[in-house]
Amino acid sequence: MTDQSKRIKDYFCKHTTRCTIEGVKKSKRFVGHDVLKADAWDKVTGDAVYPDDISFDDMLYIKIKRAVHPHAILKDIDISRAKKVQGVVDIIVAEDIPDVRQFGLIIRDQPVLIAPGEKMRYMGDALAIVVAETKEAAKKARDLIKVKVEELEVITDPFRAMEDDAPNIHPDGNIVITHHLNRGDVDTAFKDSAIVEENRYQTQFIDQLPMQNEAGVALYDERHGVVDIWAATQWLHDTQADVAQSLRLSKDQVRIIQPTIGGAFGKKEDVSVHIHLAIAAMRTGRPVKLCFTREESMITQSKRHPITIINKTGVDRDGYLTAWETKFIGDTGAYASSGPAVVHKGMYHATGPYNCPNLRGVSHAVYTNNTYAGAMRGFGTAQGAFAYEQQMDILAHKLNMDPAEFRLKNIYKKDSITPNGQQLTHSVNAEETIKRVMELSDWKGGRK
Amino acid sequence: MKKFGRGMATIMFGFGYGEGFPDHSIASIEIKEDERIVIRTAAADVGQGVITTVIQIAAEILRINPNYFEVVQGDTHKTKNSGSTSATRQTYFTGNAVKKAAEDMLANLYHYGSLEFRSNHPEIAIEDGKIYMYDDPDDYITYWEMAERVKERGEKLEAEGSFFPVTYSPDENGQADKVYVAYTFLSQVIDIEIDTDTGIIDLLDVYSAIDLGKAINPKNVEGQIEGGTVQGLGMGMMEDQVIRNGKTLNAGMTDYLVPTSVDVPKFKHYLVEEEDSEGPFGAKGVGEPTLIAAAPALANAVYDAIGVRFFDLPISPSKIKKALKEKEENS
Amino acid sequence: MQITLTVNGEQRELEVTPYTRLLDLLREDLGLTGVKEGCGKGECGACTVIMNGELTASCLVPAPQADQAEIITVEGLGTRDNLHPIQESFVEAGAVQCGYCIPGMVLAGKRLLDENPKPTEKEVRYGLSGNICRCTGYAKIIDAVMLAADKLAVEGSDSND
Repeated sequence: MTDQSKRIKDYFCKHTTRCTIEGVKKSKRFVGHDVLKADAWDKVTGDAVYPDDISFDDMLYIKIKRAVHPHAILKDIDISRAKKVQGVVDIIVAEDIPDVRQFGLIIRDQPVLIAPGEKMRYMGDALAIVVAETKEAAKKARDLIKVKVEELEVITDPFRAMEDDAPNIHPDGNIVITHHLNRGDVDTAFKDSAIVEENRYQTQFIDQLPMQNEAGVALYDERHGVVDIWAATQWLHDTQADVAQSLRLSKDQVRIIQPTIGGAFGKKEDVSVHIHLAIAAMRTGRPVKLCFTREESMITQSKRHPITIINKTGVDRDGYLTAWETKFIGDTGAYASSGPAVVHKGMYHATGPYNCPNLRGVSHAVYTNNTYAGAMRGFGTAQGAFAYEQQMDILAHKLNMDPAEFRLKNIYKKDSITPNGQQLTHSVNAEETIKRVMELSDWKGGRK
Repeated sequence: MKKFGRGMATIMFGFGYGEGFPDHSIASIEIKEDERIVIRTAAADVGQGVITTVIQIAAEILRINPNYFEVVQGDTHKTKNSGSTSATRQTYFTGNAVKKAAEDMLANLYHYGSLEFRSNHPEIAIEDGKIYMYDDPDDYITYWEMAERVKERGEKLEAEGSFFPVTYSPDENGQADKVYVAYTFLSQVIDIEIDTDTGIIDLLDVYSAIDLGKAINPKNVEGQIEGGTVQGLGMGMMEDQVIRNGKTLNAGMTDYLVPTSVDVPKFKHYLVEEEDSEGPFGAKGVGEPTLIAAAPALANAVYDAIGVRFFDLPISPSKIKKALKEKEENS
Repeated sequence: MQITLTVNGEQRELEVTPYTRLLDLLREDLGLTGVKEGCGKGECGACTVIMNGELTASCLVPAPQADQAEIITVEGLGTRDNLHPIQESFVEAGAVQCGYCIPGMVLAGKRLLDENPKPTEKEVRYGLSGNICRCTGYAKIIDAVMLAADKLAVEGSDSND
């Protein structure tokens, strides 16, 4: 135990980063200079401690039994054979934790474990937490868990999900949230436009694919009633709050310590290992470790939303945008995650950095039985840009204009107004970026 | 046959959570007797470099080499809320919080310095970890000695700063005065070559110009542009998690393809630095904007090369081959 | 079963099962956590070690196959206070972001420069192509290996080896 506490102390200290910077010793200015990265030394030597690198003596290993069907009612879960595997310490199912509450970033719609009579909504839903002396034993026991289900219609497409006769994936229906944009008079402006271009765009599921999979270690400090969790999150205090409410603990009783993070890109905003770790640590009283495999990470954790974008864009004879109508339908999969924010943020950026006085837009984030979609670098606006920047190119060609000139004609300047009606009062140098990139690439009307 | 194509895209990104969300960051700075300056922030460094960014900002304000800094981050019980490392917000939010804490610390150094030297602020110089009177630079006390003396008074040489800009929630028509704290803009030109036999896109050059206010660390900004662009190109031409009937068919890195070192283009960057934002030293966030232009610029380059528009992502070699075949049959 | 191998110049004797992966042996039995697991399928390069002079995905090697092998992990290059020129180049070139791929990248760079001390940019790209990085877009990693080649050429020989 002394040895263990010594090692725990080490891990509390590891995440402090001492800056050792060569090459700027003489300088008195540090902002605007290529100061070397403070954490680089630890990372090139292998010294940096990532969640999976933390181990305690007497540590147990966790594997999660996951859904066997993307949309089904759990009828029965049989852990009797699994329990007999040598080295298994505990197998936790929903009935063992009746007080635990659902979690989630914006809407708390994710169950910690699916109970008999409840639905699994995608392949990543957790059915049981297997805790064992070794990884192998945990895996073996997990694979011996028997599950009976009643299969339901699997909804794979948000357009099917929005139909009246589609079964509800969640009690309140399949449309998680709808947002609108309205400015000016779109219908009149389209009538008066020289060219109107309408296209439908479709983006795909993408995995953020940070090099490190979700992983963590937890320890229950019984004396203080605090569960310590070493795991990555992009927002420490938000994850702490969600874990605490789920386990009905006070925030102070959940301590999250962030080791070095092996990439995130949005994927580590959601709770992953945290709640399961805490439950296992508190029940067993021993340190526990849970590391996702790459496959598990891809199936279980958030994706970039596939969004269907329908854009109708009008221009006048001189090449000025007149009206823009847009529709964003985002497949947020089985759970809301960041979806309610992603899809409408995409729509709010639907016209790109271009002045357009008349706008109409609607966005829906829709539940399906796909792996849930959440945050990824770009947050809806990357999907939106794929659509609006092709609209701009298509219109430039139809107008017989250089695509760069067409963009310059419409680009935001100081005091331009965004689709949200926000007046851009400062730091609007979009025009300069076009001019600079034309210079840099020796742009000649789009041809080299 | 190889066909050359060039495409452009210009994008914007309103950063911070915005939309009336209570988005903020708190940070603190402490000068210790043992020659350390400790910055405490919960801002997660996911590799983007917020640790280095806040050290640079604090070092600049406190006029001392970054070597003396230590950043404690990522512990709910040692740090206050810094908000999420998402929405391209940490440089702007935590950068500002640390800057304010550092400014408060600097003011405190003047305050305690003026007590120590029985003088007034304009006569005191503070630099390189030393506090002294302008007319007698040899008679100085160090920051560390000052920390000791402040400790002897039963106080700590410590400062806290926070940044909490207001935004408003859009109404039912999506309208509000200030939805996002600020916008970052980026324009990109991408040159490609398409092999019309295989449909494979060869990425040649990427030119980027970003309106980022101020680069706190230009090399790290370049790293963001290169990394973000390559993720965007992955989105544009290869990445696709295939989920059929609710089940992922390509879970794992064997069948889920991302760009490798042989796929990536050469880069040229231009940083538009007007220093005109409300971020620290005029900086704006760059993380997400660096990804967004790549897929559409690529799509526009593909059209330029072969005259086909792709409305579905990713623009894979098989889709290109199929489209070229259809084009040939129709002509 | 008992195996003997040399890791970072030190001879080790270990008891392993036929199913132990070299990756787990290095990380768990020897505490060399600089060896990372990214995919477990030999696709990402995070678990790269140099085994008998060759770049090897340690997640694919059953431990018994490493009997009598000579293995170098990132821990065998330099330390924080005495970086190997390749490690130093990664720091200076700004090639490190999240850092999870970096041990593998550093070793891939070392293996390349051992064999080809003056590589072209294209050769560097091919030399690193078995290692996935999700943060950097590779540009600064390629720069780092080119920089390391220059450094090693000036030094004349790799003194840290």
